Parts: sequence; C-alpha cells; structure tokens
Amino acid sequence: MAVLPCGVHSANYSQDKAFIRTPVQWVCFIAFLLIVFAGPFFFPSRMLGIIIITGITIIAVVGLQITVGLTGQINLGQSAFMGMGAFTTATLAANFNLPFWLSIPAGGIGGALLGAIFGIPALRVKGFYLALTSLAAQILFPLLITRMPSKWFGGPNGLGLAPAKIGGFTLQSDQSLYYLIMGVTVIMLFFAFNLTRSRVGRALMAVRDNDIVAEIMGVNLFTYKTLAFAIGSLYAGIAGGLWAYYLRYVMAEQFNLWSSVWYLGMIIVGGVGSILGAILGTVFLRALQELITIAGPWFGQVFPQAGGEALWYSGMNIVLGGVIILFLIFEPKGLAHRWNVLKHSFRIWPYPYL
Amino acid sequence: MKKEIQTANSSLAVDKVSLSFGKILVINNVSFQVYEGEILSIIGPNGAGKTSLLNCLSGFYQPDSGRITYKGQEITKIPIHRRASLGIGRTFQGLQLFPGMTVINNIMSGRHILMKTNFLQAFLHWPWVHREEIAHREVVEEIIDFLEMEAIRHELVGNLGYGLRKRVDLARALALEPKILIMDEPMAGMNMEEKEDMARFIIDIEEFKSIPIILVEHDMEVVMDISNRIMVLDWGNVIAEGKPEEIRTNPAVIKAYLGDADEEVNHY
Ligand SMILES: Nc1ncnc2c1ncn2[C@@H]1O[C@H](COP(=O)(O)OP(=O)(O)OP(=O)(O)O)[C@@H](O)[C@H]1O
Ligand SMILES: [Mg+2]
Repeated sequence: MAVLPCGVHSANYSQDKAFIRTPVQWVCFIAFLLIVFAGPFFFPSRMLGIIIITGITIIAVVGLQITVGLTGQINLGQSAFMGMGAFTTATLAANFNLPFWLSIPAGGIGGALLGAIFGIPALRVKGFYLALTSLAAQILFPLLITRMPSKWFGGPNGLGLAPAKIGGFTLQSDQSLYYLIMGVTVIMLFFAFNLTRSRVGRALMAVRDNDIVAEIMGVNLFTYKTLAFAIGSLYAGIAGGLWAYYLRYVMAEQFNLWSSVWYLGMIIVGGVGSILGAILGTVFLRALQELITIAGPWFGQVFPQAGGEALWYSGMNIVLGGVIILFLIFEPKGLAHRWNVLKHSFRIWPYPYL
Repeated sequence: MKKEIQTANSSLAVDKVSLSFGKILVINNVSFQVYEGEILSIIGPNGAGKTSLLNCLSGFYQPDSGRITYKGQEITKIPIHRRASLGIGRTFQGLQLFPGMTVINNIMSGRHILMKTNFLQAFLHWPWVHREEIAHREVVEEIIDFLEMEAIRHELVGNLGYGLRKRVDLARALALEPKILIMDEPMAGMNMEEKEDMARFIIDIEEFKSIPIILVEHDMEVVMDISNRIMVLDWGNVIAEGKPEEIRTNPAVIKAYLGDADEEVNHY
C-alpha cells in the first residue's frame, strides 16, 4: 500500500487504509469487473471452463494463504477441506434438496469445522509436526468419506447432484455457472482483502511473526490459530461447494494430496503472505498448466519417439515443480513482490534511485 | 528533583517468588513492590535472573512458589493473554517485533484488546469496523508523534535499524494503554543519541501517563539518572534495594559487579 503513483498522499486515515485510491486505480478496477462480467459474451466455452476452474482454485488458494501465509500455520490438507465442503454441499443438495445458496455456505461451514478440528494441535506443535497433522487430515479424508453409509456421501462411487436452481432458472450452462462462480470469487476476495486490514488480520500476522509476543499483546493463541484454520478451510469449503455444482459429481479422489501440494506451490509462486500473491500464483501456474496441455499433443506429434501421453503428463509435473523450485530460489517473495517492484519503479520514474 | 514516592499505593507486589529450570534455581525467594508513579530499576550481572523475573510477571514462566499480586488481584496463574487487558504492558530484550508487518500495524496490534472487531465483521469491513479502525488509528498516531516516528510509519519493521525497532517495541507496549510498563533492556545496543532519546521517552511516560515503570537496564548512568528506586539481583537473590545514591555505595552491589568483572577477566 505504501507504493503509490508520485504525488499521491493521504489527507486522512480513511484514505490511508483504502485499497483503491487513485482515479486510475478505480478505472482499472471497474474495467476489470466489466471484463469479468462480459466474459461469457466473447470467451470461447473452453476458455470459460478454464476461468471457472481457476476461480474455484483461487478461492481455495486464498484460503490457504490465510492459514499459511498470513498466520504461519502450515497446512497440507487444503484439498481435503475443499472435499469436505464439496461433499457437504453435495449431500445437502442431493439428499435434502437444499437450494445452492444454502448448500454452498453450508459446505463452507463443513470445511471450516474439519479444518478447525485439525487446526487445534497448532497450539502445541509447529512446522514439521503441524505439517504431519494436516497431512493426516488429507490421508484420512477419502477413507472417512468412502466408509460412511453410501446414502450420505455415495460411498466409493461418489455422489451426483442436480444443477443449481434459482427461481425457475437452472444454472446448468457454463455461462450461468460462470456468473455464479465469478460472483462468489469476487465476494470471497473482497472478504480476504478486508480481513488483512482488520484487527483480526493483524492478530493473525502477529501470531505468524512472533506468537509469544502476540500472546503478551492479548492475542489468545488457541482462538487465533484455530481461527486461522477455520477461515482457511471455510474458503476451501466454499470452493468445494462451487466445484460440486460445476462438475455435479463429487468423488473422494478428486481431493487428493497432489492438489494440496499444488495449492502450496501457487502460494510460493505468488508470494507467501499476500492475497494478491495467491491470485497471481494461481493464475500463473494454471495458465502454465493449460499451456503445457495445449503444447503436449503437438509435442507428441513432432517427436513421436519421445513417448506417449503418459510421459507427457509426468513431464508436465516436472516442469511445474521446476517452476516452483525456481521461484523458491530466485524470487522467494513471489510474483506479488515483482509486481510491487514494478509499481515502484513506475512511480519514481524517471529517477531510479529515489 | 525526583518526587517522593507514596509507598502506600502499591501497583504490583511480588511475594516470595522462586523459579527454577531443572536443578538451576534462577529466582530465589524474591519479594518486592512497585509503587504508583515510580520508576523501579532492576539491575544485576548477566544471567542474574532479571528477564526470568519479568517473564514471571508476564505469565510466560510459572513460578514454582510465591504470589504475584497486581492492583490487589492475584495474577500468578492467570493466562498470558489475559494480562494485557489488566493493563500490563511489556517491552522486550533484543528484538521481539512483528517483522513482517508495518510500523503502523505493529503498533495497532498493541490495541488488540481494546478493539472489538470479530472475523465476520472484519470480512465486511463497513461501516462500523471502519469507524473503529479510524478511532484507534488516531490514538496510534498520537503515540507515533510522541515517539517521533512519523517518517517511518509505513515501513516494514524488518527493514528498520535497531534503535528504531526498539522504539516500535515501546510504541506497541504503549498502544495497549498500560497501567504498568515493564521494560527489559530498552537501551541495549543503542548509540549515545538513541539512548538519550529513549531515556527522555521513559521519563515522559512516567510523568505524563503517571504509570509505574519497571526497568531492567545495564547502562548504570541511565539507571542512576532516571530511577526512583533500584533493586539489585545476583544469582536470583535480591542483594540490595534502595535509592540510587544508596545503591551506588552499597558494598554488596560493588562486590557483585566487581566479581562479575573478575569472571570476565578470567574468561578472556
Ligand atoms: N527457558 C529457560 N530454560 C533454562 N534456563 C533458562 C531459561 N531462561 C533463562 N534461563 C537461565 O536462567 C538464568 C537467568 O537468565 P535471565 O535471562 O533471566 O538473566 P538476565 O538477568 O536477564 O541476564 P541478561 O542481563 O544477560 O539479560 C540464566 O542462567 C539462564 O541461562
Ligand atoms: Mg535479560
């Protein structure tokens, strides 16, 4: 926030804490919203699908950022918490006919509860051991879901659900789901940005930076560490609920350890601790993934001797993993930091040493 | 110059507190009082147990025995995070800040207990959260003015020099509007000018906020200058207590410090 175009100063504290402060920033912001809104009119349907999945992923990754980046509590189970949300939403929709505007928030609460339970050990354990605890959540999740009575979560076969309905209108097309999911994404981002500039956000960051001192400042560590997991997995749960309505079929395998690790990778690439970073990291890695997917078949045709599709997919993981490692080595502060540096040099141009 | 302290108005009372780590007795049966409106300095050689004693007051260590009473209420066993709302402010030896946060946010985090926003309100932000933020920001700006930190308010604390970080530490402690302030070596590692500034701040706090201050500090000149009373710890025992001029000439104190110097000579 400190980096602003030359000559922009705050005349009062309201301005000082606002996110959008210059007319140019307002124009960019509104233009962005308009593009998002007009998207379905000019994006091809494949592109819409990619954006929808990216939006869902952004919600889950922003939640993970709140737990890991903002509060410093490692979490290897974000995908399981997302699954918990997806199954909660699915079962409420399929078995209880709950409308989507109730079943998705309920999915969020389902995720938050599971996350909070696995977050409780954070009061006593840190780092590696906390990673193991959340890993346990990730491993236990599919066992738990598939062993439940198949009426609840569909057992090993998973659970299908009817499309979301609002009034007489069915949200079945990619276009209509796009609006639902983008709308929820924007709202969840709005919440996350607000959180970072609030009393609660500061307490979470204080816990991350120095939990003993935070406690002496009056922060209840149990409450706030558990809250960090609860909020993070609330986001995961909402993402899961949207996922359920988008695919209209949920299975435990969809929420595996791989995804959890990818989400962490997105945070690393974007910049640990920054909400903007979570967005940038998700978009960047997803775009790269799509690029490789498109380039893959072409690559296979040009070099058939290099092996089939299977090789290609393992190759993709190597490339993406390599990108994450490169970021860890060369830009540990992530894309959000790059973006700030860029803004800064733009601001002080043409005096590079200001 | 220095005012007389009313010994009838006790703010904090430590009664026969002992603390050990394993077999090592770090604090041995220590008793003392802190009176309203005084600066009480606790001095002693390295490892004497000063920080450990302060940690008992903050609740970070549990004494093996003894009682700590604050404004008539026993606080020996109450949880750490509840002591802030009782008005116990604390600064730390070395650097114990939130380095990933800005100066403003470090100080604002000191107002945690005075603010009310919960996480659901935080999500929405408007309008009441916004009003609360502004109201508390105004108080924090007064502290920033007082400690002369206007130029650095938006800096990340991790990027500041040592002297300024110690100032942020003090600002954060003041932000919770303490009724007693505990300071652990606020001047260690500072240059002359920074020390003078810090000494001035401490005197001003005591004078304008009229709260008692417990000061642990190695710089004897400063300690002699600004304290109303001094207590000397050595190997966990209180070996002397009194006015600065009494402490300066106390044979036991001189011996403890010279003994320490001897050891240092032997070390090197
Ligand atoms: N958590 C702990 N576990 C074990 N021993 C400890 C612990 N904390 C302090 N000690 C020991 O207690 C003794 C007193 O330490 P303390 O930090 O209180 O001294 P101090 O008077 O503050 O010294 P200094 O002037 O160097 O800050 C030391 O011998 C130290 O090693
Ligand atoms: Mg000490």
